[in-house]
Formats: sequence, structure tokens, C-alpha cells
Amino acid sequence: MTKGACCLALVLLWVARAAMAQARIDERWPLDAAGSVRIVHPAGRVRVVGWDVDSLAVVGTLAPGAGRFYSAGDGHVRKLGVDIPADERIAGRADLVVRVPRRTNVWVKSATADIEVEGVDGTLDLTSVRGAIHVVGTPQDVTAETMDGAVEIAGGTGRARVKTVSGAILLRGASADIGASTLSGAIVVRAAGWQRGGTGVQRGKFESVTGDVRFDGELGRGGVVEFETQSGNIAVRVPARTVADFDALTIGGTITNTLGAAQPTPRANGAGQALRFSTGAGGAQVTVRSFKGGILLEPK
Amino acid sequence: MMCPEMEVRLNEYVDGTLAARERAAVEAHLAECAGCRAAIVELRALVTAAATLPKSIPPKRDLWGDIARRLGKRERGNGKRVWRERAFWRRALAAAAVLVIALGIYRLLPPITAHYRPAGQGWVAVQADFDRASGELGRALALERHRLRPETVALLERNLEIIDAAIAESRAALARDPANAELRGLFAAAYRHKVELLRWAAHAATS
Repeated sequence: MTKGACCLALVLLWVARAAMAQARIDERWPLDAAGSVRIVHPAGRVRVVGWDVDSLAVVGTLAPGAGRFYSAGDGHVRKLGVDIPADERIAGRADLVVRVPRRTNVWVKSATADIEVEGVDGTLDLTSVRGAIHVVGTPQDVTAETMDGAVEIAGGTGRARVKTVSGAILLRGASADIGASTLSGAIVVRAAGWQRGGTGVQRGKFESVTGDVRFDGELGRGGVVEFETQSGNIAVRVPARTVADFDALTIGGTITNTLGAAQPTPRANGAGQALRFSTGAGGAQVTVRSFKGGILLEPK
Repeated sequence: MMCPEMEVRLNEYVDGTLAARERAAVEAHLAECAGCRAAIVELRALVTAAATLPKSIPPKRDLWGDIARRLGKRERGNGKRVWRERAFWRRALAAAAVLVIALGIYRLLPPITAHYRPAGQGWVAVQADFDRASGELGRALALERHRLRPETVALLERNLEIIDAAIAESRAALARDPANAELRGLFAAAYRHKVELLRWAAHAATS
């Protein structure tokens, strides 16, 4: 009887351990140098890393309840990810590291998983509901959207478009064409000039409803940059030698300018302030609009 | 009746996004499953019907009625059709979002364009159009919000309050100064943010 009870206990222990055990993923497939990868990753973290090898490799772990790992595709396009039955809630996290050829186009969709991309030069299309998105490198084109996760794009993106609802946005590096939109998050842009391998921002649009917007960096010669908020404050800090035409207007806020001698004037109908001035011909066009947020123009 | 576990694959099969091996597996399944074959026929009909829709649609006054009627069917518990109606809902929501944006662009174009209305003229109609279209999106979302996590619902509600307050401010300012092009731009931007928020929520609820 005692022997039987021990056996039963051992079996139960083994079953419990098996149920608790994390599933390990370690798979590899050939992939073209400029192929495409589509990743669906509900919860946890997915890290996509570019490498100089013509194959795609996935390593990682799936906690119990995280779902089932799947993959399909060929040498041009591969889909992979973690599948959760439609009637089940996410009960565990999955952590994956996906290595792809450097020029791969990458599409990632997550629910709460954080998305990290590093050293991939192709096009990136990254979407998360609540996870953070982090990109480092020189991708050709980045589109990143998340509800309340933070987004950071660092490096030298050719073109970047970022949207959040309440997540903070940080764009830093030498990107020429960037756009960021948020409802209640903050936007911070640190744009590198030629000293750090950039050209300054050639085309930029930064908009929020209540979030503050702060631009700290260089404007490209001939660039067009727009800032717009409903009630967030806007701060534009550029080198004192910047050549640009500035056009700022706020309906219910105030404008502070220390970039030059020009000072704001009350608008014609008495509501708000406006300021237009130029620091030289042929420079950038900077337009700043806020409904009731403050506007600050100052040298860095 | 379609096999529930085949829903995603059948959709992808019809969309033509399956890899060769997976496609062959689906075709093998279809050869043996009459329910899934019927589902494929319906899905293809849906896709074909969607493809014939015009690229831009002038807003119909009864758009919401159609959405509500179809959603109401599902609410009455016809579980077999859930997947099909979800697909419809997504398309309807996308169409409504496009409508709002198209309306906004059309109505808020600057004076240099041919579509410009004289200052102040038609603003009541413009705002009513915005309200109706975003109301449609909001009502459609209300029927799907149970699919969202509670924290996402809280986030959504918090930000809807923020954006509605911003829209109300812009609207009040426009009422005082209807010819102000800057205010129009800010008003349009606020509405665009609201559409984006609703689109996001719908995306989260249906994916």
C-alpha cells in the first residue's frame, strides 16, 4: 500500500513538473537575403536581430499557457509565432529571439509582448496593443504603432512613422523623414546633424492632443517640419546658427522665443499669439501650432 | 458547419496567403469536409462582394442601421455565423473610418481648393457628419468591447475622455470664430486622433 502511494505521488509529481515545464524552441530555415518574415507574438517578448547569414533562426521558450509555436513558409516568406486558440486567454509568456538576414522585411504583431528589433536594414512594420517597441539600427523604413507601450527608434532610419495612444515616443538619431503622432503620450525627438552622420530632419510631423512635444536637434536645409498639439506644450531647440523660417501660433497659450529678437504679437481677433520670423533664406520651414499649449523656441 | 479550428486557415486560404504546404493541407481537409467547403464558398462571395465596392462612398444616412442589424443577428446567439459577421464588422468599421477621414479631408480643405465652402457656411453639417460617423464607430466598438482586456478598456475610456474634451474645446472655439482656418485644422486633427483611437480599439478587439 505504501509502495503504491509512493508510486502515485511520483507520477503526480512528474505530471505536475511536465505541466510546469517551459517548451523550448530552437529551429532554423533558409531565408533569402531580402526575404520577409511575419511574426505573431501575443505575450512576452520578441527580439528580432539581423545577421549576415542567409537563414532564419528562432530560439526561445514558451511558458505553460503561452500557446503553441508554429511556422510556415518558404525561402522568400516565412510566418511564425505563437498561436493561442480564439476562446482562450493568454496565460503565459513566450520569449523568442528571431535572427534574420539583415535586409529582411519584418512584420510583427503583438498583444502585450514587447517588440525589439536590432540591426535589421529592411522595412519594419511593428504593431503592439500594449507592449513597448524598441528599434535600433538603420532600417530602410519603420512603421510602429502601439496603444500605451513606449516606442523608441534609435539609429538612422530612412523613414519612420510612429503612432501611440498614450505611450511615450522617443526618436533619436540621424533620420531624415520622421513622423510621430500620439494622443496623450509625450514625443521627444533628438535629431542628429551632419556631425553625427545625419542631415538633420528633412521632413517631420509631430502631433499630439495632450502630450508634450520636444524637438532637440538639427533641421535639414530646405526641410519642412510641423508641430501640432491641442493642449500639450511644444519646445523646439535647434542650434543658434539654424537657417529657417519659423511660423508659430497658439490660440490659448503663449509663445516664448529666444532664438532671435522677434517677439510674438497678439492675433488680430485678440485670441492667442502669433510669431513669424526668418533667420535666413533657403533654410527649413518650421510650422508650430497649438490650441492652448505653450510654445518655446530656443537655441540649444 | 465549418470546423472552428479551421477559421483562421480558411480565411488565409481565401486571401491566398498560405504557404504551399499549408495550402495543400487545407485542400486535403476541404476534400473531406462539406462544412468547410460551404464556408469557403461564403468567404469567397464575401471577398468578391467587397472587391466590387467603390473606392470612395458618399456617406449613406442608413449606414448604422445596416451595421446594427447584422451585429444584432450575432447578439441573438447565432454562433455559427460569428466568424462571418466579424469579418463584416471589420470591413464596416474600416469603411466607416475611411468615411470619417474622407469627410474630414473634403470638408476641411483650405480655401485654395475647389471644394472650399465659404467661411462659416455648412459648419453645422460638417460637425454633424463627424459626430454621426464617429458615433457609428463608437457604437460598433461598444458591441465588441467585451473582447478587450479590462485595462485596455480603462485606457480607451480615459483617452476617449481626453479627445472628446479636446474636440469640445475646438468646437466651442470654432463656434466663436468659424472662419478661422487654424482652428479648423486643429479641429480636424482632434477628430483624426479620435478616429485613430477607435480604429486601434477595434483592431485590438477583433484580432
